[in-house]
Amino acid sequence: MSLNQEPIDVARSPFSEAMEMFRKNHAAVAGLVILILIVLGGIFGPFIYQGDPFEMVWAPFSPPGEEGYLLGTDYLGRDLVSMILHGARVSIAIGVSAAFLTVFIGITVGALAGYYKGWVEEILMRVTEFFQVLPTLLFSMVIVALFGASLPMITLAIGLVSWPAVARITRSEFLRIRELEYVMAARASGVRNWKLIFKVILPNALPPIIVQAALMVGSAILFEAGLSFLGLTDPNVVSWGQIIGSNRQYILDASYTVTIPGVAIFITVLAISLVGDGLNDALNPKLRQR
Amino acid sequence: MSLLKIENLRIELTTRDGIAPVIDDLSLELGAGETLSFVGESGCGKSMTALGIMGLLPDKIGRIASGTILFDGEDLTQASDARLREIRGNDISMIFQEPMTSLNPVYTIGEQIAEVLRRHQNLSTAAAWAKAIDLLDAVRIPNPKARVNDYPHQMSGGQRQRVMIAIALACEPKILIADEPTTALDVTVQAQIFDLLRDLGRQTGTAIILITHDMGAVAEMAERMIVMYAGRKAEDGPVDQIIEHPRHPYTKGLISCVPHLMASLSNDRPELVEVPGIVPSLKSFGRDECLFASRCDRADEKCRTQRPPEMSFENNQNSACWQAGDL
Amino acid sequence: MREETNNSAELLNVENLTVRFPVKRGGFLSRKAYLYAVDDISFSIKRGETLAIVGESGSGKTTAALAVARLVNAFKGKVQLGEHNFLELQDEALRKARAKVQFIFQDPYASLNPRLRAEAIVREPLDSLGIASPQEQQVRVNELFKSVGLRPEQQRLFPHQFSGGQRQRIGIARALSTQPELIICDEPVSALDVAVQAQILNLLRRLQSEMGLTYLFISHDLGVVQHMCDSVAVMYMGKIVEHASRKDLFNNPLHPYTSALLSAVPSVDKKRRAETKRILIPGDPPDPIDPPKGCRFANRCPVARSICKEKEPPLRALSSTHKVACHLVDEKAKSPLL
Ligand SMILES: Nc1ncnc2c1ncn2[C@@H]1O[C@H](COP(=O)(O)OP(=O)(O)OP(=O)(O)O)[C@@H](O)[C@H]1O
Ligand SMILES: Nc1ncnc2c1ncn2[C@@H]1O[C@H](COP(=O)(O)OP(=O)(O)OP(=O)(O)O)[C@@H](O)[C@H]1O
Ligand code: SF4
Ligand code: SF4
Ligand SMILES: [Mg+2]
Ligand SMILES: [Mg+2]
Repeated sequence: MSLNQEPIDVARSPFSEAMEMFRKNHAAVAGLVILILIVLGGIFGPFIYQGDPFEMVWAPFSPPGEEGYLLGTDYLGRDLVSMILHGARVSIAIGVSAAFLTVFIGITVGALAGYYKGWVEEILMRVTEFFQVLPTLLFSMVIVALFGASLPMITLAIGLVSWPAVARITRSEFLRIRELEYVMAARASGVRNWKLIFKVILPNALPPIIVQAALMVGSAILFEAGLSFLGLTDPNVVSWGQIIGSNRQYILDASYTVTIPGVAIFITVLAISLVGDGLNDALNPKLRQR
Repeated sequence: MSLLKIENLRIELTTRDGIAPVIDDLSLELGAGETLSFVGESGCGKSMTALGIMGLLPDKIGRIASGTILFDGEDLTQASDARLREIRGNDISMIFQEPMTSLNPVYTIGEQIAEVLRRHQNLSTAAAWAKAIDLLDAVRIPNPKARVNDYPHQMSGGQRQRVMIAIALACEPKILIADEPTTALDVTVQAQIFDLLRDLGRQTGTAIILITHDMGAVAEMAERMIVMYAGRKAEDGPVDQIIEHPRHPYTKGLISCVPHLMASLSNDRPELVEVPGIVPSLKSFGRDECLFASRCDRADEKCRTQRPPEMSFENNQNSACWQAGDL
Repeated sequence: MREETNNSAELLNVENLTVRFPVKRGGFLSRKAYLYAVDDISFSIKRGETLAIVGESGSGKTTAALAVARLVNAFKGKVQLGEHNFLELQDEALRKARAKVQFIFQDPYASLNPRLRAEAIVREPLDSLGIASPQEQQVRVNELFKSVGLRPEQQRLFPHQFSGGQRQRIGIARALSTQPELIICDEPVSALDVAVQAQILNLLRRLQSEMGLTYLFISHDLGVVQHMCDSVAVMYMGKIVEHASRKDLFNNPLHPYTSALLSAVPSVDKKRRAETKRILIPGDPPDPIDPPKGCRFANRCPVARSICKEKEPPLRALSSTHKVACHLVDEKAKSPLL
């Protein structure tokens, strides 16, 4: 039989093709590099640039550059470089863990609703709608006010108000994919429910969820900054938002104390959304080819 | 003089792999009231030919590289965009491959037909509406007075395709290009649409170009056919003659690889003739060789190194195959 | 009035199968209504043979097939497959029995999981049903690739690296992997190019004669059906209107709808074109949610009488190989159109 005369290429998974596509997207790669630098800075920075971010090292409100303090000092005379580096840890840790929580709740709810349909879907989607219409900032303020402003509580608060978006995406992907013929084929050969959900449908539903999760990291960082700005944060840790919040009274006299962490947040969130966009293009098969 | 005369048309597409001739040296003639059919597998350039005639090649990707398209003596390859638009509205219309997506879901079908009439024939609103109802009647939509107020989603696939035909007919075109107008429809509906197109050709003298991959449909509908392969004309000529005696291995394959309903049912069912492999990809379209060679059981060295010229036979059949004479 | 058949030769016997879907009717005061996509149909297939189901879009062909394979729930009816009463099986017994019925789908692009390699797709049914050890599985996958005409190196590739016809071959290999008794082919070639169609149809027929497979073959292409089938069931609006052997159906179609269907097929054969009189059936099928009480074809039937609008014609056996549901067909088995 002369059926297969086309040259065979090496096996290329959809994932590896997506990564190649991502690599060709310069903006996204730049975003990723920036992001990696920020994460490395957060992890290793405090070891290289030693110093306690809470310690008063010099006169308050010294502008950047003075006395070897690259970014100057804040209203308590604390070194801003040290604060930014430690703050990176906290901000990114909150962003990432809140995104994980969001995705975990969102996928669970969305997958069950989209797979089982019927009354399961009815109930879960009502719950989702309930969380979606809650005024987010107010709700998280209430949680933090009630249970204390510890990092886990803040993460939980952010996670609780942001999962509905992920749940909706997951559900609609599940509703679409569960009717596809390869899922039918899997059912026809007796694949069990949990395996259908997690091994067959979920991997194919992941691309938009991954994009959403990446963007979620950015919005969680912003959210945390918002809460800190309002003073709803753990005073014993530095985060970027908290630096802004604690210096906000002096915004007119020493604007750099607010601008510098603000720029850090801005760059991080921008880098994340560049990466998110790049992932979106790379994982979206319609944009692939041509 | 023929209504449409295409000479040595070459259409190039710019793709990631470079520039490829998606239509390579195509010539044809179409007279008023005639029906010509384009056949070939997916990706052979049938739709591209139609889009080329209509001046609707994909922006920035496709362009007419050389050749002429003479419509009523006027060269469409040189015509301005405004002129092409005018011709599209009044003289040449097209029914597209996807019936489900070609109608605007937010307007009633009456509004959509009347809009075309107002724009191209300067009819008053009332006159356009009355004519829209006439057209729906002409394409055999039952109860057109009531259905004219329906939205596209309220109609079945076959009815929507008939509405598309009504819109294409609204300006009484001289040429109607139907790009696989029945692929998505049931055979009984297909038969109705074919009847409709046939009557139309007879009554109004509209010439029809029917694009399809169904030899049965060609046999039933067209007087002449062009078999396209990989952007080139493999064979053309009168339909009956080609079906009786194809002069190109590809045509032969296309006819015999399909199990047709015959006048008498045979008891033994021999294996279908296979044309192995698939249509080559666009990037190999321009090569100086017979592009069918990789799938042809008669291919020899010459086929793989030289593009076969068109060979003409006295019955108006032409075949681009080195061995056309022996077939 | 059931005719005598040799029951031992029957692999599949479907009786009174009905599938309904709940639908919302009307906007504001919506009442609960049902669409009977498959309405009380019965048919059977002999072991090693092919039954084709034909009918227009929406007539319930796919739904009937899915119900037979328990991929949608039947509202009522009986599906006897070999010794199993398929609709009564539960949980683990059902899961095990699924090995016996496999599906080949229409869309070669939607029917393969894009994240799995070709070999994993073919192995999936073996894995999930716990058939054979990993080594034996690999041996079987190798054999399957060979028998559907794919090269061993292609096992490691992903679906998007194959052409439509090759993907359909993978789908066929997957369906064969569990050594099923019944294979349901739902429009297996209608998404393929004509030349590739021939390759797949030949493959299906070759596999059938080699392995003694039984096919339930759904298609709307009567040429393909005529080439593939041993008998045919014609569906119209959820009902079987005619069920006959290949010879009876194509030589002597009795139901007016079947005749219309056959007369609408364009043909390359001059003789057939000259001999066939087109039977026009104007209009569209009625609303499936609220079907008429008599014959469902009455509003389009060229020979309908008053009785047709009152009483629903039952599917009657005229001979052991020919059943038809039409009031005007008498015992002489003559088409009412003649
Ligand atoms: N917008 C485009 N950009 C790049 N290539 C294109 C584009 N449109 C079509 N092509 C390519 O041009 C070739 C001819 O396409 P065309 O649509 O004319 O085929 P066809 O014969 O109409 O096939 P079908 O039967 O599938 O409609 C194909 O190889 C196709 O991949
Ligand atoms: N899940 C569903 N929910 C509601 N209605 C459905 C569902 N699946 C099918 N239907 C309806 O049941 C009827 C039969 O559909 P089915 O898909 O079985 O037709 P078919 O004969 O296979 O048609 P086609 O030739 O288009 O594939 C149609 O009216 C369809 O709209
Ligand atoms: S030119 Fe050669 S390869 Fe091409 S169709 Fe003719 S015989 Fe076949
Ligand atoms: S029962 Fe009557 S309406 Fe129905 S098919 Fe027969 S003749 Fe036609
Ligand atoms: Mg096309
Ligand atoms: Mg179907």
